[in-house]
Amino acid sequence: MKRDHQETIGNKAESSSSSMDTGKGKSWFEDDQDAGGGMDELLAVLGYKIKSSDMADVAQKLEQLEMVLGSEDGISHLASDTVHYNPSDLSGWVQSMLSEFNNLPSTDFDSSILLSSNRDSLLGQPSAITSLDFSRNSQSKVFTDDSEYDLRAIPGVAAFPQQEFDRSNDRKRMKLTPVGSDIAPAPAVNSLQSPTASSTSTSSPPAMAVSGTLSGPTRPVVLMDSQETGVRLVHTLLACAKETQEENLELADALVKRIGLLAASQTGAMRKVATYFAEALARRIYKISPQDYRLDSSCLDTLEMHFYETCPYLKFAHFTANQAILEAFADASRVHVIDFGLKQGMQWPALMQALALRPGGPPAFRLTGIGPPQPDNTDALQQMLGLLPPEVEAVAVNSVFELHRLLARPGGIDKVLGSIKAMRPKIVTVVEQEANHNSPVFLDRFTEALHYYSSLFDSLEGSGMIPRSQDLVMSELYLGRHICNVVACEGADRVERHEALAQWRTRLDSAGFDPVHLGSNAFKQASMLLALFAGGDGYRVEENNGCLMLGWHTRPLIATSAWRLAAGDSQQ
Amino acid sequence: MEGNVKEKRPRFCVNDHVDILMEILKRLDGRSLCVSACVCRLWCTIARNDSLWEHLCFRHASPPPSSGVRPVIVALGGYKRLYMVCVRPVLSRLGRLRIAGDSDRDRRVWTRDGVQLSLSLFCVDYYERLGRLGGGGDASGGSSLMFLCKPVNV
Repeated sequence: MKRDHQETIGNKAESSSSSMDTGKGKSWFEDDQDAGGGMDELLAVLGYKIKSSDMADVAQKLEQLEMVLGSEDGISHLASDTVHYNPSDLSGWVQSMLSEFNNLPSTDFDSSILLSSNRDSLLGQPSAITSLDFSRNSQSKVFTDDSEYDLRAIPGVAAFPQQEFDRSNDRKRMKLTPVGSDIAPAPAVNSLQSPTASSTSTSSPPAMAVSGTLSGPTRPVVLMDSQETGVRLVHTLLACAKETQEENLELADALVKRIGLLAASQTGAMRKVATYFAEALARRIYKISPQDYRLDSSCLDTLEMHFYETCPYLKFAHFTANQAILEAFADASRVHVIDFGLKQGMQWPALMQALALRPGGPPAFRLTGIGPPQPDNTDALQQMLGLLPPEVEAVAVNSVFELHRLLARPGGIDKVLGSIKAMRPKIVTVVEQEANHNSPVFLDRFTEALHYYSSLFDSLEGSGMIPRSQDLVMSELYLGRHICNVVACEGADRVERHEALAQWRTRLDSAGFDPVHLGSNAFKQASMLLALFAGGDGYRVEENNGCLMLGWHTRPLIATSAWRLAAGDSQQ
Repeated sequence: MEGNVKEKRPRFCVNDHVDILMEILKRLDGRSLCVSACVCRLWCTIARNDSLWEHLCFRHASPPPSSGVRPVIVALGGYKRLYMVCVRPVLSRLGRLRIAGDSDRDRRVWTRDGVQLSLSLFCVDYYERLGRLGGGGDASGGSSLMFLCKPVNV
C-alpha cells in the first residue's frame, strides 16, 4: 500500500512536471538532492508547504487516518463536522484530528508516532486550525482553538452548504488544476471516505483528498479550480461584509484574511477588485479611517488624470456634457459655464474649440470653477449669484461626478440645487455613476459596489492596453480610493454616495428641473469616441429616455443627463 | 547617362515647377507624403507646407469644414500635427470598425461628427501639452491621446 502511494505520488509529480515544462523530468523520488527539501510545487501553489521528500510520510499517515475514519461508524460523522481552516498547517490539522482518536476506544492508531514525526516532517505555521464542533456527539471532547472561528457563519453554498451536512459519505471529486495554467489536469481526487479510495492508484496523493474531504464535503478551503475559487472569493467577500455589518468583528477579521489567500489564487481584474475590497473591509473592521479624503484632493487629481487617459469614461462624460451645453448655447452671445469640480479643466478646451467654430461665430465665454468641497458648499454659489449679471448671459452648470458628494451632508443637495435654480441656468449637465452605493444598509452597498467595480476593473483589463502601463496602475489606484471610501467610511467622510440615474431623476424632478434630451449628435460622437478605444467593442452607449449611458458589456456604468428649469417657473 | 541623346527640347524636371509638384503631392496619402519628404531637400520643404496636410486631412470630409476652422487649427499646432496625432489614427480605426450608418459608404469618408471629434481631441492634446510645458517635466506630449497611438488589438 505504501508503495502504491509512493508510485502514485511519483507519477503525479512526473506528469505535472513534464506538462509544466519545468525541465524536471525525473520523479523527485529518484533525486534525493532535489532542492534539498524543496516544496512540492503544485501543493505550494495551493498553499501547502510540504517538502516533496516528505510526501510519502504524509501519505502513509493519512492513509492510516483514512482507515480509521472509514471503519468506525461512530466517528465518520466527525469528518463532516470538521472545519479545515488553515491549509498550510497540515501538521497541526492532522494533529488535531488525531488527538481526538486518542480518546476514543477501539482504535489501533498510534497517534504518538504520527505526532512526533509530523512535527519533524511537515512545515506548518503554529496557528492551529480546526474547531471541531462535537455538539452532535455525546462523548465529545471539544478541541477548540480560540484563535479560529466557526466558519459555518459563512453563508452560501460554497462555504458551508447546510444541505450537504447529512451526506456524511459524500464523495467529492475535485479536479487538480493548478491555478491559471494550461496544464492538463491531474486525475481527480476521490474522497477518502470512498471505499474505493485505496484502490485508486492513479489518483493524486491523499494529501489532496484530505484537504478536500476530511473537512467534509462542505468546506474545502484550498481549491484546485480557479473558477471555483473565484466563486468562493465572492462568497467570502459577501460573508465578511455581512459579519462586519453585524459587528462580529473577530469572525470578519478571519474572513478578511481568507479573502487575501483566495485572492492570491486569482488573476487579473478579479484579483485586484478583491484586494481593494479586502483592504477596505479591513479598514472598516479595524476602524482605521483612510487618509482624509479631502486633503488628498491634489493626489486624487493626479490619479484622476491617469484615469482620464486610460479609459473612456471621463472623456465620454465630457464630450456628451459639452454637446448638450453647445446645443443649449446655440444662440447666446455671452455664455458662462459653472463647473462643480474644475480640477484640471480637461473638459473645457473641447467646448471652447467647438464654440469658436460654431456657425454664428464665437460667443463671449466665461468659466467659473468650484473647487474642493468647502465646509459649507453653498458659499461659493451664493457669492456668484451676486456677481451674475441677470439675464444677459446664458449660464450652464456642469457637474461631473460631483453632485453625489453633497449627499454626505443632510440638506446639502437641496441647498445646492436651490442655488443652482437661483442662477437660472439654461442647462444643467449631470454625469454620475450608475449605481446605488448609498443604501443605508452596509451589505447592500457592499454588494452593489462589488458588482460595479468588478465591471469597471474588467473594462480596464479589457482595454487592450500594453500590459501594466503606469497609467493603468494609477487608474486602478484611483478606483481603489473610491472603493475604500464606499466601504470603509461613514458619515460625512463617506462622500462617494453614488446613486442611480432613476434616483437622480426623481431628485432633480422634485427640485424643479425638467429633463432635456441629449440629441443624436451626442450619441454619434460618443459612439465614435468609444470605437477609437482599443477595447471598443466592450463598451456600449445606450440611450435611456434622453440620457446617455456608457457601460461595459451589459452593465451601464455612468450616465449623462441634462436638465433645465421647469417650465412652470416664472422668469424674474 | 551619356550617349547621343539629342536634346531637342529642354529636359523636364518637376523640381523646377513647384506648383505642379504641390498638386501632385496633394493627392498622396499620408504615408506617401511622409516618404516623399525624404526624397530631397526641396521635397522636404514642400512637404512641410501645411496646406498639403490640410488637403489631406479633410479631402474626404463631407461636408467639408468651414474656413473658420483654419485659424483654430493653426493655433492648436497646424494641420500636419492634426493629421499625425488625430486624423490618421481616427481614420484608420474607424475604417476598421464599421460605424453604424456608414457601412455603405467609402469608409474613409468623414462625417461632421468625425471631424468634430478629431478637432476636440486635437484641442485636448494641445491643452495637455500646454500643461506640460508650463509645469510638468514630462517630455511626452498628449498622453490623453495615447489611446490613439497604441496599436489596436484587432
